[in-house]
Amino acid sequence: MLLRSQLRLACGITAPNRLLFGPHRTNLGSAEGRGLSAEHVAYYHRRAAGGAGVVVTETASVHPEDWPYAQAPLASACPQGWSAIAEACHAEGALAVAALGHAGAQGSSAHSQAALWAPSPVPDAVTREVPKAMSVEEIAAVVTGFADAARRAARAGMSGVEVDAGQQSLLRQFLSPLTNQRTDDYGSPDRCRFVREILRAVRTALGPGRVLGLRLSCDELADTRGITVDAASELARDVHADLTAAGGLDYLVATRGSGDSLAAAQGSRPDGHGPTESATPLAPRIRAAIQPEVAVCAQGGIVDPEQAEGLLVEGSAEVVEMTRAQIADAELGTRLHGFAPDAEADSPGPRPRPCVLCNQHCRVDYPRAPAVSCMGDPSSGHETDPEEGVVSLALPAPPAGADRSAPGTVSGPRQPTPLTEEATGTCQPDGNGTPDEDTASPAPPAQPVEVLVIGAGPAGLETARVAATAGHAVRVVERADRTGGMLRVAAAGHGRHRLARLADWLHTECEQLGVTITTGYTAADRDIDAQLATGGAVVLCSGGRPGRIGYRVGAGVRRMDDAALLGLLASGAEPPHGPVAVYDRVGGPVALSIVEELAAREVAVTLVTPDHAPAMQLAPVGALSPAALRLARLGVPVQRRQRVLGAGNGRIQLEGVHTGEVCEVDAAVLVDCGFRLPADQLWHGTRLGMDRAGDVIAPRGVQEAILDGRRAAKRLQEVRLW
Amino acid sequence: MRPGSRYPHLFTPLRLGPTTIDNRVVFTARLTNYARQGLPTEQHAAYYAARAAGGAGLIVTEEHTTHPSDRVQPDLIRGYDPAVVPGYRRITDAVHAHRVPILAQLNHNGAHGTSVHTRQPLWAPSAVANPAYREVPKAMDGPDISALIDGFGVVADHSVAGGFDGIELSCAQSSIVRAFLSPATNLRTDRYGGPLVNRARLLLELISEVRRAIGPQRVLGVRLCGDELMHGGTTLEEAVALARLVEHTGKVDYISTSMGVAGVSLYLTEATMHVPPGYALFVANAIRRSVDLPVIGMGRFNSPLQAERALADGHCDLVALVRGQIADPDFAAKARVGAAEAIRSCLSCNQECTARVGDGRWLGCVANPRAGRESEPPLVPVLPKRARPTGGPAGELGDAAGAATRPEVLVVGAGPAGLQTALTAARAGHSVRVVEREPHAGGQVRIAAAAPGRVELGDLVRNQIAECRRLQVPIVYDTVADVDLVRRTAPSAVVVATGARPVLPDWAGRHPRVVDSRAVLRGAVFPTGSVLVVDELGFHHGPSVAELLADRGCAVEILTSATMVGRDLSATLDLETWCVRAAAKGITETCERRVVELKPAGVDSPTGGRHHDDPSWHEDRAVGTGAPADAQDAAGALRVTIAHPAGPQREERTVDWIVCAYPAGPQDELYWQLRIDNGTAATQLFRVGDCVAPRLAHAAVLEGDRVGAALGLPRATSTRGGNGR
Repeated sequence: MLLRSQLRLACGITAPNRLLFGPHRTNLGSAEGRGLSAEHVAYYHRRAAGGAGVVVTETASVHPEDWPYAQAPLASACPQGWSAIAEACHAEGALAVAALGHAGAQGSSAHSQAALWAPSPVPDAVTREVPKAMSVEEIAAVVTGFADAARRAARAGMSGVEVDAGQQSLLRQFLSPLTNQRTDDYGSPDRCRFVREILRAVRTALGPGRVLGLRLSCDELADTRGITVDAASELARDVHADLTAAGGLDYLVATRGSGDSLAAAQGSRPDGHGPTESATPLAPRIRAAIQPEVAVCAQGGIVDPEQAEGLLVEGSAEVVEMTRAQIADAELGTRLHGFAPDAEADSPGPRPRPCVLCNQHCRVDYPRAPAVSCMGDPSSGHETDPEEGVVSLALPAPPAGADRSAPGTVSGPRQPTPLTEEATGTCQPDGNGTPDEDTASPAPPAQPVEVLVIGAGPAGLETARVAATAGHAVRVVERADRTGGMLRVAAAGHGRHRLARLADWLHTECEQLGVTITTGYTAADRDIDAQLATGGAVVLCSGGRPGRIGYRVGAGVRRMDDAALLGLLASGAEPPHGPVAVYDRVGGPVALSIVEELAAREVAVTLVTPDHAPAMQLAPVGALSPAALRLARLGVPVQRRQRVLGAGNGRIQLEGVHTGEVCEVDAAVLVDCGFRLPADQLWHGTRLGMDRAGDVIAPRGVQEAILDGRRAAKRLQEVRLW
Repeated sequence: MRPGSRYPHLFTPLRLGPTTIDNRVVFTARLTNYARQGLPTEQHAAYYAARAAGGAGLIVTEEHTTHPSDRVQPDLIRGYDPAVVPGYRRITDAVHAHRVPILAQLNHNGAHGTSVHTRQPLWAPSAVANPAYREVPKAMDGPDISALIDGFGVVADHSVAGGFDGIELSCAQSSIVRAFLSPATNLRTDRYGGPLVNRARLLLELISEVRRAIGPQRVLGVRLCGDELMHGGTTLEEAVALARLVEHTGKVDYISTSMGVAGVSLYLTEATMHVPPGYALFVANAIRRSVDLPVIGMGRFNSPLQAERALADGHCDLVALVRGQIADPDFAAKARVGAAEAIRSCLSCNQECTARVGDGRWLGCVANPRAGRESEPPLVPVLPKRARPTGGPAGELGDAAGAATRPEVLVVGAGPAGLQTALTAARAGHSVRVVEREPHAGGQVRIAAAAPGRVELGDLVRNQIAECRRLQVPIVYDTVADVDLVRRTAPSAVVVATGARPVLPDWAGRHPRVVDSRAVLRGAVFPTGSVLVVDELGFHHGPSVAELLADRGCAVEILTSATMVGRDLSATLDLETWCVRAAAKGITETCERRVVELKPAGVDSPTGGRHHDDPSWHEDRAVGTGAPADAQDAAGALRVTIAHPAGPQREERTVDWIVCAYPAGPQDELYWQLRIDNGTAATQLFRVGDCVAPRLAHAAVLEGDRVGAALGLPRATSTRGGNGR
């Protein structure tokens, strides 16, 4: 498979394979000091050990005034972390590349409390903040900053650096006619001058035998007003030619988007609504334009190995960035062994856990965001956490007297561990080499427990999978006629179909581990009693049920809850005849996906929300503007700041949240998207040997269910002790 | 005047359980985000010590969370961690040095939070999602409730060990205890749910547990919510009944009052300038009439007179004054000596103390750039000390008061940035002169404060002018500073603070009835008839002008390309009240639309609008104030084409006026002229505020303070500047 083949870069360094783990915000650092943490080291090491060929670390600011988020690394504070990361990655054969950047007007002034820097005082499209036009001295300071940072990275042992001229970068702001309106030497016609100076300085600072990569926004998705593919190709050709004497560029990551227009916001990390690189290829056009010694890396929503291999085989790119795929499965690289569409099951090892393009836990670029993680693998970003991590670390002792492990209490929240010599020295797997199981699985039990898991949603399947991996004998019973629970229900919504892949993966893994799965069986108290009576364990994963409504529905309007409607769509049945009103009390992805699905099937649908705008809870993950755009394209009418008072006779009564004014919309069907309640009829309080996981505790998201399932599986050890 | 005699009630001591406090001004609890790794910091200690030094009668710290299941913010003080005790000790020692008692507030946020930092289900009495955070919590079981009570006990123990004088139990806006008390969020059917006595069981158990932990020699207070402003929630009548229950325990020393619920009605917990001071006194009043315990009243007090009246009228026994003392730590001391005019007033803008904190950053203050920086060492001065001019030529600026000698620092522009630079530099001992081209100070803030309900924003500038006066900093009005003036003045440093200029969008052309929002607010133009406000800022600018025009009888539509109008009003808790007012005033909102083209309509109809050419406003008319000379020629309605984000659809509007709330541009010509001017090469050059990049007022003030301090050479004798040294 080409993805697993080596690649010799122009500088003479050879990457062990074509799989790149790209730079992204992790929040694993600390706002104090802005360095890299032991958590960073473990995070990147896990991907290198898992088979990534090139690991690019979180973008470090090259100038202290650039402080785009609280934990944003600062290059001058990173050498110690880079050194530890380089050592950890090189030990696994992977290249370790330091991403360097400056966010410019796309940063934040909240942390520096100083004006943002930009080529021209053009307000940022998202924040509307007006930046300060950089003086030539400030331009020179940034160029020097890049060179200094590159020197530090090289000295720390990194394989090289990647210069950020991607979506969120000062360099792109200089390149783009949308944001560079300067009239001096750094403006039109030579908007590239800044980038050229930086690359020249960086190449010189790096010296020979080090990798120089460039992440370049090759299409700002703004027609000809912004950077176009042609302009980007020309730029790439020019800067490479300019650098040839010093060694040239080694690789170029072709990205799209700018954050400077509504439509372009989705270019940076497309969710299930696309567009992905495969759908609208960019890399081949850049590749055709530049010298063959520059390896082109394709990027943008590439999450399946088949997709990646296809791009390499057809010659569109030499390297493929699969960042989210490796957040979802850190061992993606090693799981490519024997993996190809044509390779049959002579090595039926674990298949990669799919990325579902949900962006819900890996996209953490909002205030107060937690560390990066993953819906399917909650241990992502928590590698050093003794509770859910994969690597045992000798962590600094807790403060004297702190007792967070007392039974019945919740473990203390994780903090970034300052990178000390001691900490970096212990940042290695505890002697077992490459972990081939990515979960916090307990050591194989001396005595397997017979486990009955009730419910085959994500919590149940994950409980079963982890318990079976640990050697327990697991039986899963499910009331419905198929597994997957709410994952499959939600997958019926528009743009959410990939959620079903996670259900498929969990099911297949369980089967391969010998878990017995019985569908169409409704468990009762007597099943639990019988299981416990024989010394077995029960984990109740019976999920949720529709919640309270709070308004009356009379004849002439059919009311359904969101799960019921999605279940109907999933079953292949015809959607209800309109007009449909969807009442979204949650503001998340579910109601939106229902509205879009119905509208796409040409059902007349109205969205009713008590909020100021539809799907407002999607704002933190950057999906609000694209969602609004899609709704507008579909022409879906939205009733904002309205709550449902009641329904009947083909009409829904609404009340203005702030005005108290009552109005009506026509609807034959009212789909209520509200908060669910635990389906906990089988839970009668704590019993020896019985545990619960997922929505039955409190209806939440998929990650929470999976995390609960892992914890429940771990606690099975305690059952044995009882 | 006898100290305190102007406010006799405010400065009457009060017995509070085992303690006597010196006056009735309470610095109540407010989240600061000063904690690091869950531990209190020096930033905390210096912040509270400054308020103690400034004369507060009682300090209640920000919340200390009582259990690991609660981590609403990444940097909450984790009171359950024994490692907090040394930090507690630093805070209490620093405060006790000023002989002021300090209490720790204990809180568990329950479902008023997020589980993203704990990765554990939220705790709540019942599985009812909070409308803001929208996570369905876990209905607590028996062991959870025991663990919660134990947690309060543990934190109370730590507080005693750390030297606190007592505890306040948070049972109000963002507390799990509130969730138990409220029939809207407590649907339990066990002994913790149902009638009030059951819903109050948790609170009564917590009171017992905490009183046991702290003993009889320390203060125990309870903060209650008097009105949740929520369907089916706690109302005043029940809050009064609850207060009686609390008093009946005999274990509580005072009751603090509040209203509103986080995520539902917080805009009436931490109300902004749009809500009148004293708005929540009805809660304290009703409770005080029913119990004998001292009662703390709250409600956006920012002057000693308001506080005095609340006490004199019998609404409450103590006054919660948190934002007022963030803005001026010496609030109480100044009031006591009768110098209320010297108090730096809180604006109730909620920008740095609420919005910033909500975004997870540490608390600051627009009016007080040193809030949260009390522990920082002074900045290093950059300006070399110059020999004092002893005679020298008489002031080149002629007769302006106090301008007789050559200033060390010349500040150009008397907006918030320039004034802050001037007063910080003057405090550091420099002689400073400010020149302003207008006949008045205030820049953009003065303009913004002209909008309905925004008058208190102007306190920012009134504070600064008053302080400049005390520091004898002359402000020379009606004077345009150019390179020549700087040359003639020859200061050691010139600070350019010339502000911003309006920038109109390209589609506006130069049509006289397409104007910038600031031109309307400052009265340069008077739109009438139908007005389209195009808002591309998302903060107060657009809504302010829309309200002003609607109040004048215009038919107003506000249009934005964003997904909602007033996106950034949410963080300052201004969004809900804007929605209510906008609806009442008939302002219509249009979202996700852009204006792409403007053409005068074919049918002319005199609009009656008039331009008021203010001769004092030397605005470049090409960029934004309209061209009065053309107004008559261009009478007639405007037709605008509005684009849909999704594609080729177009809509049209015919209106009389269009008002643009758009990002401004820096007015930085003088700065760039001075940079290349050889004649002023000996003068150090700085710029601050909007002429660097147009931003909000807090950026201007911070920058002014930073540059002013960096200029300053510490003088040993006095903080008084001017010519007297």
